[in-house]
Amino acid sequence: MIKEILKALWKDKFAKIAVIVLGFIYVMLLFADFIAPYTKDFSDRTMAYVPPSKIFNIDERGKLSKPYTYNYIRVFDKDNLEIKYKFDRSKKHYIKFLSKGQPYKFLGLIPMKRHLFTTDNDGRIFLLGTDINGRDVFSRLLFGGRISMTIGFLALFVLFPIGLLYGGISGYFGGKVDIVMMRFAEAVMSIPSFYLLIILASILPPGMTSTQRFMLIVLILALIGWAGFARVVRGMVLSIKTQEYVQAAQSIGASKFRIIVKHILPQTTSYVIVAMTLSVPSYILSESGLSFLGLGIQQPDASWGNMLKEAQEFTNIIYRPWLLTPGFLIFVSVLAFNLIGDTIRDILDPKSKKQGT
Amino acid sequence: MNDTFKYIIKRILQTIPLLIMISIISFFIIRLSPVDPLAELKLNPSVSPATVERESKRLGLDKPIIVQYGKWAFSFVKGDLGVTSTGEKVSKKLAERIPNTLLLTTLVILLTWLVGVPLGIIAAVKWKTPFDRILTVLTSIGMAIPSFFFAVLLLLFAVKTGWFPIGGLTSPNYSEMSFWGKFCDIAYHLILPVFVLFTISLAGLQRQMRANMLDVLDSDYVKFARAKGLSEFKVVYKHALRNAVNPMITLLGFEFASLLSGAALTEYVFQYPGLGRLILEAVLKSDINLVMASLMMGAVMLVAGNLIADILLILTDPRIRGRA
Amino acid sequence: MLLLCTILCKACLVKDTPAPDNDLKFQTKEQFTQAYIPPKNVTIDGIDYLQSQSPVGKFGGEFVSSTIGEGPKTFNPFNSKDATSATLSGIMYDGLLGTDPISGQPVPKLAKGYKISSDGKTYTIYLRKGIKWSDGKPITADDVVFTWKDIIFGGLGDTSLRDSLYIDDKLPSVKKIDNFTIEFTTPKPYAPFIRSLTQSIAPKHYFEKAVKSGNTAFDTFLSTTTKPENIVSSGAFKLKEYVPAQRVVYERNPNYYEINTNDEKLPYMNKLIYLIVGDLNNEVLKFEAKELDVITLQGSKVARYKTLEPHSDFKLYNLGPTTSTMYLSFNLNNRKNDKGKYYVNPIKQKWFSDINFRTAVDYAVDRKNIVFNIANGIGSPLYTPESLNSIYLNKNLAQYDKDLEKSKELLKKSGFYIKDKKLYDKNGNRVEFDLLTNAGNTEREAIGVMIKQDLEELGMKVNFKPIEFNSLVNKLVSTFDWDMVIMGLTGSPLEPNGAKNVWLSDGRLHMFNMRTPKEGKKGILPWEKELDYLFNQGALATKFEDRKPYYDKYQEIIYTQKPMIYLYSPVIINAIRKKYKNIYPSSLNGLTHNIEEIYIDE
Repeated sequence: MIKEILKALWKDKFAKIAVIVLGFIYVMLLFADFIAPYTKDFSDRTMAYVPPSKIFNIDERGKLSKPYTYNYIRVFDKDNLEIKYKFDRSKKHYIKFLSKGQPYKFLGLIPMKRHLFTTDNDGRIFLLGTDINGRDVFSRLLFGGRISMTIGFLALFVLFPIGLLYGGISGYFGGKVDIVMMRFAEAVMSIPSFYLLIILASILPPGMTSTQRFMLIVLILALIGWAGFARVVRGMVLSIKTQEYVQAAQSIGASKFRIIVKHILPQTTSYVIVAMTLSVPSYILSESGLSFLGLGIQQPDASWGNMLKEAQEFTNIIYRPWLLTPGFLIFVSVLAFNLIGDTIRDILDPKSKKQGT
Repeated sequence: MNDTFKYIIKRILQTIPLLIMISIISFFIIRLSPVDPLAELKLNPSVSPATVERESKRLGLDKPIIVQYGKWAFSFVKGDLGVTSTGEKVSKKLAERIPNTLLLTTLVILLTWLVGVPLGIIAAVKWKTPFDRILTVLTSIGMAIPSFFFAVLLLLFAVKTGWFPIGGLTSPNYSEMSFWGKFCDIAYHLILPVFVLFTISLAGLQRQMRANMLDVLDSDYVKFARAKGLSEFKVVYKHALRNAVNPMITLLGFEFASLLSGAALTEYVFQYPGLGRLILEAVLKSDINLVMASLMMGAVMLVAGNLIADILLILTDPRIRGRA
Repeated sequence: MLLLCTILCKACLVKDTPAPDNDLKFQTKEQFTQAYIPPKNVTIDGIDYLQSQSPVGKFGGEFVSSTIGEGPKTFNPFNSKDATSATLSGIMYDGLLGTDPISGQPVPKLAKGYKISSDGKTYTIYLRKGIKWSDGKPITADDVVFTWKDIIFGGLGDTSLRDSLYIDDKLPSVKKIDNFTIEFTTPKPYAPFIRSLTQSIAPKHYFEKAVKSGNTAFDTFLSTTTKPENIVSSGAFKLKEYVPAQRVVYERNPNYYEINTNDEKLPYMNKLIYLIVGDLNNEVLKFEAKELDVITLQGSKVARYKTLEPHSDFKLYNLGPTTSTMYLSFNLNNRKNDKGKYYVNPIKQKWFSDINFRTAVDYAVDRKNIVFNIANGIGSPLYTPESLNSIYLNKNLAQYDKDLEKSKELLKKSGFYIKDKKLYDKNGNRVEFDLLTNAGNTEREAIGVMIKQDLEELGMKVNFKPIEFNSLVNKLVSTFDWDMVIMGLTGSPLEPNGAKNVWLSDGRLHMFNMRTPKEGKKGILPWEKELDYLFNQGALATKFEDRKPYYDKYQEIIYTQKPMIYLYSPVIINAIRKKYKNIYPSSLNGLTHNIEEIYIDE
């Protein structure tokens, strides 16, 4: 069935583009250490807020040259109270490919020093400029993307088993169990989710390591989403359990838990897939919203949301548009997920299939 | 009619245990917080320790949590929501904000329905044509922009063009305006926030309407109507439409819910004096009473929204009553 | 945020103007050539007016300012616990004295003059005759005595002023001499007292009922729901309207006691509006969209407005360094809590209590780039607890740059050693600690990132954790479980005694070595003892020259002992629309200290 879906996705023009874009983004994120010229914490504080490096390949005498860039020098103009950036033309910094730079662990395992591109030791290459601390926005985008783009999936992996089991049990047992369990789920659903989200995020114990914080945010996102999911699963289980093979399983005395897990829940697969792709973007958006408010991923860690926080400043938007790139990336990936979700829904929806034929 | 009435009563009664459950969940979540609600007072050098002591007593922080919940629930029922950590009445603060949030959300719901339903119908009628596809992509784009980011950009746009006010709900000289002046002033301030929320919530509604319409168009009685030789126009707008809109009413409650959540960030960026901004500020300051009350009010509004949707549904679709 | 008392800003005895060294050129000359002439007392038909000496202007128009945050919590000036409420209620209620915007000396407001007895203990206040409250009732000595005796000394509302006036556990006394003369007597000569006379005076006939019904009733008196038309006030502007989360609107008080040289009653403007804006960003947008008439600009935004200025309708003013300070502090606490557990890990205690360690950290801090990156160059490095515009600033303390070699040398001296680029103490423990600050403050987060890197160059491992503000405060003042922190405080450029809560060893904000009330002065360090002495003596001396040495010494102690490492101080730059005239910028009181004299000339 997965194959079928992929095939259909490939056939649809928009979905195809979306798949390619997402694939590209995820590959970039996977190899972030290698692609990014710097680590996420590397900073050159004498180069705070510098614009994107200009890369030249025709030198001042009009000759073709290996690509090179200049460093910026920062000058404080006392009359205009302004910091100005000029090229330091005293030295050309050639761009080197697959050369040694900041050490890292490739895929978190193999220690390596080579980067896709870098420049000499005293040169700096900032493809998308730098932030307030002189950190490379391009590198941080890649590392921040790892967090932003996986947090949704991780949350789904936490909430789906809970939702499935909860909905399955509630639907299968029915009666009082069902009523109590569903009332509880409804109560959770009746609390406006964003309100709940910020409250939960704000009561996270302070002083956690960044990994702990990340995991807890995943957990919070999951806590908010499970109830709605469970409710739908329950509805599906109610109709599935009347089917013959379930009754057959009952009659041969299979345990209730086994029936739920083995016979009923697998029937909900198609729904699960749709729900998964459809809800990933909402988690990406939730994370960015949280971080934007300062309740999500914290400095010095990067996520697209907390990078965007810096960009909300008026003067930054006007004078430092490169800080807006995380917003653009959020937009692109959410859009791509939505387009894919739409297409999958059309494929899986038996009714539209019928009409199509 | 009697049946309908009974069902409505039953439905209203059902919300009571729901609300109790919500209050318990929210109360315990908030009180699990390791944050000291008096921290702000404690750091303020102009507040004496005696004052801090008094505040702590007033908030009942020295009692066990069950007692605190009991105290809280009892006074909530009486309509006394306590005071904020700065000594203002919570009920007063909420009363200032809730109408504004309701105004914003109702407007957005109205607008999305006015636009989303027709768009859904057209998309369904023109199913699988490029028009349908492009519409889906367009609404997807609207849905994909982070609301706060969109709001920030719109504010920038407002500054650059000078066409719109920078947030808020009324102009400084509002109180001196005539009735129409006031009306226009509020409308003027509402344009941008409504636009943001409208953009992000249109897609969902349009899709749902499209799906419903497709379902109905595929049903036997529509096929039958077509077979009868009725014009396509009549088939769609007379027979299919009614049946497709009905299930949408259930959605009203959910839409209200998601709007309430979505509005928080928009309110924050636009400095809109609504419930969402209030709760954000309260959360950041760990103002327990205020957080608790606004959370409850949000939930109450949501439950009420669902209730209204259900009641509407019964009134329009008598079949439900039988099921109930 | 961290408000160290607006009240304290109104406190002290003073001599000359600060004007600290500031290497920014644009302390423009014109701005200081038009010197501000303070208003004079004149008596017309038996009424003691205050007469503005500034050019006569036109009547009418409005002025839109802003306040950041959630807006006022109360309009009761005696119960305002936050800066916004204090400012907004202060507009409505004048005090006996004010502060001269240039010299910082006490100047007449409701009082036309005052006399201090030769023993420095008795203050005689002469009230203006014939001036009225906004409802037309006369302002008399009864109102003053009522305010001080019943409200302030009675412990109603916010008691911080009373708490600060205890001298040897005794309060000053207040006595009515006649209808327009009042006498205050302090138990001992107490220099900061004169500043407290800037405290608002309440109309007895309006406050009396609430005062009689006790503390709880008083707390809700003049709350934000009070009908504006019922409020009786004395300021140049009275409340017209309060729209929650949006704005506070004031209108001119026709009974105000200041007149211009044509003997026309001030203020000039009809309305004064404060918009309630949620954050700095929104404030800038509103200024840009001309919804606001005045704004304080952060460093990063100055360049834009400086470039726009020549072709725009606003003008920038440089008001000099802020009164707020930003610092890095160590937790020197070496005591145990009730359960017998150390607040700070004993291994870390050894580092933090080591002066070489603290100095090494200090020399590793890159103040120059902090000023550059965080304040966009618009600020100065800071080395002392007194803000750069403080009249008590000790200018003899030398400034120094980042010097990693010196840091390493100092660490070596104390037995620290580096292995594999990692720093270990002499017992072989890896030097690793947490650095906290409040989350959501971009400035402090950026500084934290920089300091983390600086210290990691020394081989220390720094876990930088921005945490929620309230949790941070809780750690600082009640649980004490922190290592290092980046925080800020706001002080007064006129009265160092205001910061005694921070420096006294049993002070409530003595964060770097906080003691519980039960502990008292337990485990006091020699230099802490000296600080206690200096602060007590400094408050008792009356003359500026006598007080200065005490406060010079305290700065020197902090400078050498480094419990708190001061980082930088931004310079305040304000922009205001050019159509407003009679603007006399003051580094002490800002741009609109003479709001009643400001008028519009398009």
